[in-house]
Amino acid sequence: MFRTTLRAASPIASRAISRPLVAKSAFIGASKFVAPIRFYTAAPVDKKEITSRVIDVIKAFDKTAASSEVTGQTYFHKDLGLDSLDTVELLVAIEEEFDIEIPDKVADDLKSVGETVDYIASNPEAN
Amino acid sequence: MSATPTRGQVLKLYKQFMKNARQFNDYNFREYFIRRARIGFKENKDVHDSQKLNTLFKEAQRDLGVLKRQSVLSQMYTFDKLVVEPLIKSHGHSRGL
Amino acid sequence: MLGRTATTIGCRLSRLSSRSLRNGLLCVATRKYSPPAAAAVELANDLSLETHTDIQAAAREQAESRSAAAGTASEVSNSGTSALQHAYQENTGFGTRPIYLDMQATTPTDPRVLDTMLKFYTGLFGNPHSNTHAYGWETNKEIETARDQIASVINANSREIIFTSGATESNSMAIKGVGRFYKKTKKHIITTRTEHKCVLESARSMINEGFDVTFLNVDENGLVDLKELEASIRPDTCLVSVMAVNNEIGVMQPLEEIGAICRKHKVYFHTDAAQGYGKIPIDVNKMNIDLLSISSHKIYGPKGIGALFVRRRPRVRLDPIISGGGQERGLRSGTLAPALVAGFGEAARLIKQEYPNDIAHINRLSKKLVQGLLAIDHTSLNGSPDHRYPGCVNVSFAYVEGESLLMALRDIALSSGSACTSASLEPSYVLHALGKDDALAHSSIRFGIGRFTTDGEIDYVIKAITERVRFLRELSPLWEMVQEGIDLNSIEWSGH
Repeated sequence: MFRTTLRAASPIASRAISRPLVAKSAFIGASKFVAPIRFYTAAPVDKKEITSRVIDVIKAFDKTAASSEVTGQTYFHKDLGLDSLDTVELLVAIEEEFDIEIPDKVADDLKSVGETVDYIASNPEAN
Repeated sequence: MSATPTRGQVLKLYKQFMKNARQFNDYNFREYFIRRARIGFKENKDVHDSQKLNTLFKEAQRDLGVLKRQSVLSQMYTFDKLVVEPLIKSHGHSRGL
Repeated sequence: MLGRTATTIGCRLSRLSSRSLRNGLLCVATRKYSPPAAAAVELANDLSLETHTDIQAAAREQAESRSAAAGTASEVSNSGTSALQHAYQENTGFGTRPIYLDMQATTPTDPRVLDTMLKFYTGLFGNPHSNTHAYGWETNKEIETARDQIASVINANSREIIFTSGATESNSMAIKGVGRFYKKTKKHIITTRTEHKCVLESARSMINEGFDVTFLNVDENGLVDLKELEASIRPDTCLVSVMAVNNEIGVMQPLEEIGAICRKHKVYFHTDAAQGYGKIPIDVNKMNIDLLSISSHKIYGPKGIGALFVRRRPRVRLDPIISGGGQERGLRSGTLAPALVAGFGEAARLIKQEYPNDIAHINRLSKKLVQGLLAIDHTSLNGSPDHRYPGCVNVSFAYVEGESLLMALRDIALSSGSACTSASLEPSYVLHALGKDDALAHSSIRFGIGRFTTDGEIDYVIKAITERVRFLRELSPLWEMVQEGIDLNSIEWSGH
């Protein structure tokens, strides 16, 4: 019983309730608490750098990729042999690297290093 | 009864497992839950029986709740990094199994 | 200024209902860098919700007191600064907390276990023995669930599980309890020389109560001789106590065969399964086990709780050690600790559910470790190579003093064979029982591998041990003699 309530509450957490929480705290006046640090640091990252960082993540993630050549044209499934679960995991690592969240709809279509780099370059939040 | 979980839903769940597992502050717990999620999802990759899928999906949702709470807790009670842990945040985790 | 900060925090807190605070914190897990989570993190930082440990200070203190106790060891580690420093320096850019490889001492609490336990500290506080209201009922229900989970690991009935404070209490209760109940007619107990201290001490205390105790020898593999065991059974023998898995060398005793012998002679069979429960297959019915001791903290559960399995059919009777309200079938009075019981239950559920994964993982790491360590010259594995639990690896490093090696391995949490008597520098009685000489017993180290051990840790350990054994041997005059081909046994040592 206990478990169910907590479970029911948690998905709401990231969406409904937490957003008004911030709006509220902004009114309290202590602006330093809100501290949207990244708004000031989000300088656009160039594609070359993104590519090399993505490749680094892939190499750290996968043993077979570590020894083979990975380029912008490398496909996750075809070239690296990653299945759908592996790809999801890799994208989580990439999300962490660039402090972004890739929406599920977009993630489904990212099948190669190049496509991933393009998406990150188009995402203003990436840093 | 609820409908059979779709492929998309399963992948989404897997993503949540991975995100939460990676946020454990404790090295051993983090590595374990990443490994455990991989094994768990891979061993049930070929399950197509809708009733079995439903049960597994529900169990996994409950486990995800536990993982979410505990990874948060792990961030609140932190300890020094282990001698095998790089101090600068490493990218990705080794997949050695 | 301080005052202002305090009021702002207070103000913020008052606006956050506990529900949104909780949700905000949960947010940290899911969306680490989104603004609401950032606010929550910031709030957490301001209130300093994080706790830190100062393991370095603790390690220094411990090391100082240890080196004060053993002067020689500190000399070695001081004179060896260059190589040891090298070993540390090479590792800069990494953390400082040692790798934990002492799983026989205790295991980390599984987060899933903690998750089960927390609700008993946040709401489910009822006394499980209160049967007049819902607070008691809900807690009692959780306890019975846990009892089922614990029983099912060893194919027992939940009514045969008696909760205790741990395996030490369970062992004492079994040996003293059975002995005292049957003392009018039966005054003989059989056990082995390699048992855990608490079994040996309980048996010894029964000698004071007029009992005869046979301490069986073990062979060089650490196994009991079944013929000798059978021959030791007398008409007045009431109990045979043989451990399932040895805590120092990981050797598994042939439980099924021992059980059959005991049943044949109508003698009760107790096994101390603190190190074996959930880690090796145990079936109390198939193995004819009458009493079995379990410890929760060896299976990733909370410390402070354990259990004793007491067979109901044929019924095993024992005198309770504790008197009181008659809880736990009158065998162990006192209010149960529901949080510990439920955590123990969840740990048991997990050890059963995760058995295939855990054992495969531990087996693989164990093989890797044994291979890596035995590749060093003059090393040997202690205990039977076949009848063993792979998560416990005990290796002797000849011509190295075990204590010095441990001192040189402060980045790995290990224990020497003599862990249980760590205050003294006395070599392990278990290794002695196996016929190892003092020197070899002194130079042995136990490595405990568990569910949370990683490949990275094992690789690190193999490398560190190889380097430091080589280094310590280079300091050793004995090693020099061995290298020159001098037979050490031919030397006559002069005493000072």
